[in-house]
Amino acid sequence: MKYLGITLERPKIGIFDFTGCEGCQLQIANNEASLKDLFGLVEIVNFREISSERRDDYEIAFVEGSITTDSETARLKKIRKQAKILVAMGACACSGGVNNLRSRFSLPETIKEVYGEHHIDSGPVRKLKDIVPVDIELPGCPVSKNEFEWLVRNLVLGITPQFPTYPVCVECKQRLNSCVVDMGMICLGPITRGGCNAVCPRNRFGCWGCRGPSDEVNFESLMEIHIKRGFSEEQVVERINFFNTFSGIFK
Amino acid sequence: MEENEVIGPKSRDRDIEGNKIYRFLKLNSFDELEMDYTRSYLSPKNYFLPFKEDLVTYSLQDKGWEQEINYTIHPRVIVGMRACDINALLKLDQVMLKSAYPNPYYFARRKNTLIIGLDHEPLEDCFCKSMNSDTAFHGFGMFLTDIGDKYFAAINSDTAFIILNRFDAEEITDEDRLLFKAEKKKIELKFKTQVNITILPELMDLEFESEVWKKWGDKCLSCGTCAMVCPTCYCYGMEEDIDLSITKAVKRRFLYSCNLLDFAAVAGGHNFRPDAGVRLKYRYYHQFRGFMEAFDQSLCVGCNRCGNACLAGINPKAVIDDLIETETK
Amino acid sequence: MSTKIIQHDINLEPFMSKSPDFNRKSILMQTERSFKSEIINIITLTALEKLFHIRISDHFERENFSFLPGQFVMLHLPGCGEVPISISSSVSNKEYIELCIRKVGKVTGMIHRLEPGAIVGIRGPFGTHFPVQKMTGCDVLLIAGGLGIAPLRSPIYWINEHRSKYRDISIMYGARDPDQVLFDYQFEEWKKIYGLKLLTIVQNAGKNWKGRVGLITDLFKEITIDPENTFAIVCGPPVMFKFVCAHLSDVGIPRHRMFVSLERRMHCGMGKCCRCNVGSTFTCLDGPIFDYWTVMNLKEAI
Repeated sequence: MKYLGITLERPKIGIFDFTGCEGCQLQIANNEASLKDLFGLVEIVNFREISSERRDDYEIAFVEGSITTDSETARLKKIRKQAKILVAMGACACSGGVNNLRSRFSLPETIKEVYGEHHIDSGPVRKLKDIVPVDIELPGCPVSKNEFEWLVRNLVLGITPQFPTYPVCVECKQRLNSCVVDMGMICLGPITRGGCNAVCPRNRFGCWGCRGPSDEVNFESLMEIHIKRGFSEEQVVERINFFNTFSGIFK
Repeated sequence: MEENEVIGPKSRDRDIEGNKIYRFLKLNSFDELEMDYTRSYLSPKNYFLPFKEDLVTYSLQDKGWEQEINYTIHPRVIVGMRACDINALLKLDQVMLKSAYPNPYYFARRKNTLIIGLDHEPLEDCFCKSMNSDTAFHGFGMFLTDIGDKYFAAINSDTAFIILNRFDAEEITDEDRLLFKAEKKKIELKFKTQVNITILPELMDLEFESEVWKKWGDKCLSCGTCAMVCPTCYCYGMEEDIDLSITKAVKRRFLYSCNLLDFAAVAGGHNFRPDAGVRLKYRYYHQFRGFMEAFDQSLCVGCNRCGNACLAGINPKAVIDDLIETETK
Repeated sequence: MSTKIIQHDINLEPFMSKSPDFNRKSILMQTERSFKSEIINIITLTALEKLFHIRISDHFERENFSFLPGQFVMLHLPGCGEVPISISSSVSNKEYIELCIRKVGKVTGMIHRLEPGAIVGIRGPFGTHFPVQKMTGCDVLLIAGGLGIAPLRSPIYWINEHRSKYRDISIMYGARDPDQVLFDYQFEEWKKIYGLKLLTIVQNAGKNWKGRVGLITDLFKEITIDPENTFAIVCGPPVMFKFVCAHLSDVGIPRHRMFVSLERRMHCGMGKCCRCNVGSTFTCLDGPIFDYWTVMNLKEAI
């Protein structure tokens, strides 16, 4: 395949899952209309959800889920060693995601609550970056299939992908939505990275910040606007901590 | 209705206090039209300058490409635009049609839109009178003023005149004339918010380094909402995209906001405006000073949509009052 | 009577059948249409900079394309993006234009991967130009820092082609490292054939550099300026032209006789997108060439 005379290589990609709901993989697999073109652009050599093929000669690895066990740690390190480009795919891989809620309780207690006396191997929830270097973070819970395909196109063309730096509000206004904060909800839209086409506010649902912070974040102002509208600080903090995407820059 | 696409104010949601939130949306029947609407949350600007617009499509071959440009716009009627919104369009006309490089995309939309304006009693925070945008004399097809059980219609185009035939129209009587004048007077007296703009262009220069910008900048979420809801903000960006089969590409324009972080960032990483306060300042600078210098009028029409939509409560009245106050202190 | 509104199809307007003429700014035209152009030659100058020879493919469009020294074009790669690049060749070269491009971002990175024969798009020319006609009968001082030499090549060519109309021409050129000195293969020609005085200086001399070492302002010691009959053209990073222009001003050259080229983020080139907004002007329409008096009075220009 060629673009303006430049020959484009067809990279081999692998898609791997760790602790998570596999929703991100499903996003990729369920876009039937474009799967054919996707296969034309890249060679998928390892993608458990759609194929029984298991090859380890991939160049780009998309990794979904967070890391909770020692065997997962070892497997991730192996993937990192093989892949030229490692993409953390989805909130779990980028920040621990929903899984991270577990970290609020003691580990033995949670295991007992869920599994009773049955023994399972489970450690603290970690994001990929805690264990190996990550080249690209594809945010979202789940990731957007459009953004995934956009990322693949950029990688094939050899362009460093530039994710939107602006917050969700921009796209929310562009879809002519009514502001959900005005409608009495908590919304993290003003501090969360855009690119999701404001799906949640579109459906009258405040943003939960699954895509992590935009390039400029004003927590004080966000807190102030919610407190002014009758919410407590705890409620807003709870929302900000939900996906763990703001850890490190919040408080 | 069955023949043309009609856009008008419609409410679907309510805010915390139970007030309706109006938006300009496509109407399926005239029953949906809410002629008693207060103010639309967003301006109808997107029907002239869409938030995202494909400008050129390309089909790619191995080495080269072909381009295709099309200006086909299906005719559309917008009902219920306020005088301030019509004035906003006239200001956009200055930039888009009357300055260097007239914009054909905008031209096509302007040519194919019939505007039916509608007078209203100003809201608490409307300051269009201060911005000289409270009345519109041209730039529309028809302009309606409520005179009790009838509308007083000013007709400005042949198309509007043809449309008028559909309604139960009658010639203006002397009584109507009086009612119209009374209504206009009533509207004029209802303005509560005033913004002093006489010395504003100078003030913008004098207060360039003012603490006021930092004060409001600290509140600013840099979310771009103000520019998105504004009827005149027209700054944009370009993006290009290729499809998955690398055979089709598109050049797209998307409206942007000067309050967003990377508005003035250049390749290589330098950002000419890294602070929220500085970006906020430039928004005001463009609205009240830059545009004044270029077209002898300010870009702001005084609809206060930005003030209404800004979650952090940044509004032109407060910012300008602050600037004037620091000046007289 | 039908109330269906009749469509006004502007696709039928006369401009649709003509190729755009960007020199006629006030008429409606297909402003987003680019001239299909072929890269006919690529010269690698340094690790980061390449010089591209670009030829507008259509004969008629090529004939009609004309620009003045200092103007820029939007170079377009469909599907990748557009970048403003100042034209670096002679206005009398009707065959192709030369663009000197540094690899910095997404689009320029892609341009560097192209090979001769690739088809790109050109829109323009845009912007203001150096008033070279006004400078006849005077000395001209051309001062460049780093990549700033690229836009200066166009006025240099102009002056060389009309050499007898101008008095003394001096070029002062400063670069950071010796291997970043661009177009040194033309220096001898400029000096010997056209009698230009050419002074180069680098900040960090390497082993093989035998020339001057220091800042560009150090070169002022070596030239004498006749302030009443001198025009200055300055091109380079803002810090540089700030110091240079301050010096020229001290010598006595009026600020409206010094011209600088500003660089900003641009998306349209037509004064619409506001991305290149500086104070109350737009770099793409009122610039990129400004006289220094105007620049000084623009907010955030320097």
